[in-house]
Amino acid sequence: MLELEHVKKSFGKLEVLKDVSLSVNKGDVVVILGPSGSGKTTLLRCINFLERADEGKMTLADQSVNLHSATRSEVHAARIKTAFVFQNYGLFRNKTALGNVLLGLVSARKIPKAKAIKQAKDTLDWVQLQDKYDCYPSQLSGGQQQRVSIARAVALNPDVILFDEPTSALDPELVCETLEVIKQVADTGITMVVVTHELQFAKDVADHVVFMEDGYVVEEGTANEIFSNPKEERTKKFLSRILPPEYSI
Amino acid sequence: MGEFFSLERTIDAFPKLLQSLNVTFEIVIVATCLGLIFGFGLAMIRLFRLPVLYQIASVYISFMRGTPIIIQLYVVYYGLPMLSMNLFGLNINSWDKLFFIITAFVLNEIAFIGEIIRGAILAVPVSQTEAGYSVGLTGLQTFVHIILPQAVRAGLPNFTVDLVSLFQGTSLAFLLGAVDIIGRARMIGTNTAHIFDPYVAAAVIFIIISVLLEFAFGKIQKKGDVVYGRIHS
Repeated sequence: MLELEHVKKSFGKLEVLKDVSLSVNKGDVVVILGPSGSGKTTLLRCINFLERADEGKMTLADQSVNLHSATRSEVHAARIKTAFVFQNYGLFRNKTALGNVLLGLVSARKIPKAKAIKQAKDTLDWVQLQDKYDCYPSQLSGGQQQRVSIARAVALNPDVILFDEPTSALDPELVCETLEVIKQVADTGITMVVVTHELQFAKDVADHVVFMEDGYVVEEGTANEIFSNPKEERTKKFLSRILPPEYSI
Repeated sequence: MGEFFSLERTIDAFPKLLQSLNVTFEIVIVATCLGLIFGFGLAMIRLFRLPVLYQIASVYISFMRGTPIIIQLYVVYYGLPMLSMNLFGLNINSWDKLFFIITAFVLNEIAFIGEIIRGAILAVPVSQTEAGYSVGLTGLQTFVHIILPQAVRAGLPNFTVDLVSLFQGTSLAFLLGAVDIIGRARMIGTNTAHIFDPYVAAAVIFIIISVLLEFAFGKIQKKGDVVYGRIHS
């Protein structure tokens, strides 16, 4: 479904992605873990061409594209196949909840307006925002905003949804409600790549866990393999710091 | 004081001054409309850093913002006919003064409004553009649906300030012989030998219109706030 090969990206002298390859099967939930600055977010942004990689190849739904030299139409094609959930929600501030979901359907996907409205409302209902259609982002709580953002991504019905630390801007209670919604998305069988620091969530929903550090993939495997039996010293250290044994979940 | 100022004479001056208000409005409206159109182009040149044009635009803006409007008025008034004569062999010396005055204010407004538009667009966070791309919008669609509406809101307060200052700035047009409100006040003053009163009347007119402008644009701004909330970044 999604294949990344030898992705490299530097910001000036700082090499953020040194050589990352990643393979995501259709319907899988892949969780990327790792300390801050390990390149997780940059990797996601390269997939959606929000960042131009210096090198690398991506194959997405049987179409290959060079992450560095993709043409404008290739970039657009890749973006149409993906959706992005941002850390800070990334909602359009001048659009209502409904307008946020609608815009991509009508303007980018060219879905007829009546059908798009139905689809957008259904998706907002599905994330329990049936009474918030006409609210602007400034009138919604952080959790509600992130649910609109998730609805916006799901309504587009993309091949892959990319989640970039979707809960790190939220307070603990809102984290819970948002993670529930993301689980709900995972249950639909849609392919997802999630960057997160929520280890319990990763354990619960991930089919595949990737541990990144310093611009490389250090270790990857099933959630069980990574959490119960990490092979690399670095992974053990990272997980133990976040999950001290006495608090193990 | 009775000799110097008379309420009666001041009140008498109002209808005469108001007759010249259309000249003032003409300058303001033409300068603002053309300023918006070409200022938008100027902002685009600066934002996209178009080669060569960017340097020209930057010099143009520094000149227009760095010199007093009075100099610009004279440069256009005396310079444009010479330029036109040398370039096209066209003698425009006899054209209406108002043409040169309006041209000077238009050129000035292009620079000022251009910078307001540029600032307003830059005030919209990059994350809004990224969100647009992420749902599959093209650059142009993102600009039209997301960036522009937010930039209008961000730029409105500065635009209001600019509009009011342009309105007051037009009072310099009398220096080239335009019969706008100030020109008319001068005429009345000279004819009646009571200089003070018509200027008081003119001041009242300027204050009322300025306050009305600010009030109207304040309303529009407030409406925007109610519609989609204050912008936090």
